[in-house]
Amino acid sequence: MNLQRLFDPDAVAVVGASANEDKIGYEAMASAVRFDGPVYPVNPSGEGELFGEPFVDSVTDVDGVDLALLCVPAPVVPDVIAECGEAGVGAAVIYSGGFAEAGEEGEELQRTVVDAAAEHDIALLGPNTSGYVVPGSDLLFSFASGVETVPAGDVAVLAQSGGVAHDLAFRSTREGYGLSAMVGLGNRANVGFEEAIEYFDGHDDTDAIVLHVEGTDDARGLLETCRDAETPVAAYKVGQSDVGEFAESHTGALTGDHDLYLAGFEQYGVPTVDSTAALLDAGVALAHEPEPSGANVGVVTAQAGPGIIIADRLQRAGATLPELGAETRERIDEILPGITFSGNPVDTGRPMPEFGEVVEAVAADDAIDAVLVYELFEEALGFPVEALDGLHEATGTPVLFATEGPPDAMADQVDALREAGVPVYVQPERAAEATATLARYADLREAGAVPESAAEQGVSR
Amino acid sequence: MTPVDDADDADDTDADDTDADDANPVAAALADGRTTLTEAESKTLLRGAGVETTDFVIADDADGAVAAAEEIGYPVVLKVSSPAVTHKSEWGSGAGVAVGLDSAEAVRSAAERIETEAEAAGVDARLLVEELADTDAGTEVIVGGLRDPSFGPVVLAGLGGVFTEVFEDTSHRLAPVDRAEAREAVESLTAARLLAGYRGSEPADLDALADVVVAVGDLLIEHEAIVEVDVNPVLATGEGAVALDALVVLDDDRTEGGE
Repeated sequence: MNLQRLFDPDAVAVVGASANEDKIGYEAMASAVRFDGPVYPVNPSGEGELFGEPFVDSVTDVDGVDLALLCVPAPVVPDVIAECGEAGVGAAVIYSGGFAEAGEEGEELQRTVVDAAAEHDIALLGPNTSGYVVPGSDLLFSFASGVETVPAGDVAVLAQSGGVAHDLAFRSTREGYGLSAMVGLGNRANVGFEEAIEYFDGHDDTDAIVLHVEGTDDARGLLETCRDAETPVAAYKVGQSDVGEFAESHTGALTGDHDLYLAGFEQYGVPTVDSTAALLDAGVALAHEPEPSGANVGVVTAQAGPGIIIADRLQRAGATLPELGAETRERIDEILPGITFSGNPVDTGRPMPEFGEVVEAVAADDAIDAVLVYELFEEALGFPVEALDGLHEATGTPVLFATEGPPDAMADQVDALREAGVPVYVQPERAAEATATLARYADLREAGAVPESAAEQGVSR
Repeated sequence: MTPVDDADDADDTDADDTDADDANPVAAALADGRTTLTEAESKTLLRGAGVETTDFVIADDADGAVAAAEEIGYPVVLKVSSPAVTHKSEWGSGAGVAVGLDSAEAVRSAAERIETEAEAAGVDARLLVEELADTDAGTEVIVGGLRDPSFGPVVLAGLGGVFTEVFEDTSHRLAPVDRAEAREAVESLTAARLLAGYRGSEPADLDALADVVVAVGDLLIEHEAIVEVDVNPVLATGEGAVALDALVVLDDDRTEGGE
């Protein structure tokens, strides 16, 4: 299925567009009109204009529509899809609930919709989704208000739940990351994880894909798609489900869905995390940093306490902290004679002008695959932006940064580091976890965790 | 030479089975309309996949069981063998499994007890006579496999025996797996420390154990009809890994014949 017309349309129709501000048809239209192309409000009972666009009675009344946003109740959806097919519309977002998530009748309704879509080759996002947002192209096809504030970034969020998709989008906004895309997959009628991952793997603005997964009927297909993607993928599998139909014997009782997801993601080269925050943090690390050659992390800290937390968390999360080479230690001794601790972590005791040089020395060490730096913000010194700018390119070693300080006072310096391509985190634990996820990603890829034989055998379920 | 060192000998005493059934116990069971294999059938299948099992003979009555025990050598284990009984140790008020039988009298008495219970329950049962393994010589591990509706064939390794449910120390992989992956699965268990040799005990042959994991995964891939394999316990020792008990579950809606 080609998702071009879904995620990169030339013209859009909002079916069920409404002047009533309480309705989804209003919110969806309000966001959609930011799109740089025709947006047609469709509603036979609509009069005049909505956001400067004249109402039309039906999608069949307008030409060239790629994507229809359906703000209509569930029972009407099959008819509207048929109409879309007649009009040559290539994709639809179905916001309404009341489908497969709502019992047998809903399942039947969803089947009807899928059949109608198949007949006309229409890609369906949803039903039961809040839609999608691609900030870089002003595609704000969500009915949630405020999505226009999500800045463009390079991480694509593909969430099973539209609610989680928006949660992640607004969180990324607050934390200053931005997204390349935010997609709520909903019921995955015919566009599921696999189709969306394949599309965003080929999306120019996307450098990492993060998944929120509750469960899917074809987990093996999902894993295989992740493995085949060139873009790094990280996943957050939610919920420890029960043991299903095999509960009677040992093997079945010992095998929950959740175990299989975690094992499967690992086996297919996808690091998993345990929270929405960690999912975004991992996405940012994977998007910005080169793939490290292993899980050996060098820590440079200006404060011992956070450095110890970081060293602890890194190791608990599967990274290793090797000793630095003799040459590196000599170099650090020359930069800072009588340094507090020059093993790993390197603790400079307090921020100082030479801090950046120390980071450079550690990044250059052969034993180190990634560097995590912690430094409380000191206004007089700022951050070592110049030293860190381009350091990961020069050394091939990812460099990540964690800090804390008065938010307003350090905002410019945080922005400067981010512009220099350095991911900046607050909270030592979150920085450590993001770094460890990056390191684990390298390890999973390195271990050749991918069973080639599985792909060749086309294993049946 | 041990009296039973391959599957054919075991099946020779299994007079009801045809030759075709011997070659593929899965097809035989499906032909009978059964969804479980007996322990003997399950072990025959595992042997065919290269998994070492304890020696065993199927006998029809107490005399046959005694003769089998003489051949195998005491002590032996006697178990009820019937497609109708999948949880042998819980069957017939404990009559289903008798361990450590070291004389003809002991075998005869245990066999008669099974026969009595079978008659009472209206179950068509036979007798599985088996070499007694020294479980103190190694660590009991569970190796399992199942066909998950969403993941397809998956395998698991875990701490076996009575600790299986207590600690739920398991690791999973999607099949097929190669030996290196299977070894990783075994080594990621908390129980790996027991397997590595605890307080001077001999380290287990992890490659042999990994090969059992590989074989279980391959069985699921080869036999479309198999939905679950439960090898519990596998005795992991310094010399190898031996399946002491096995259960194979089939889905009769699935046709046999592999991919």
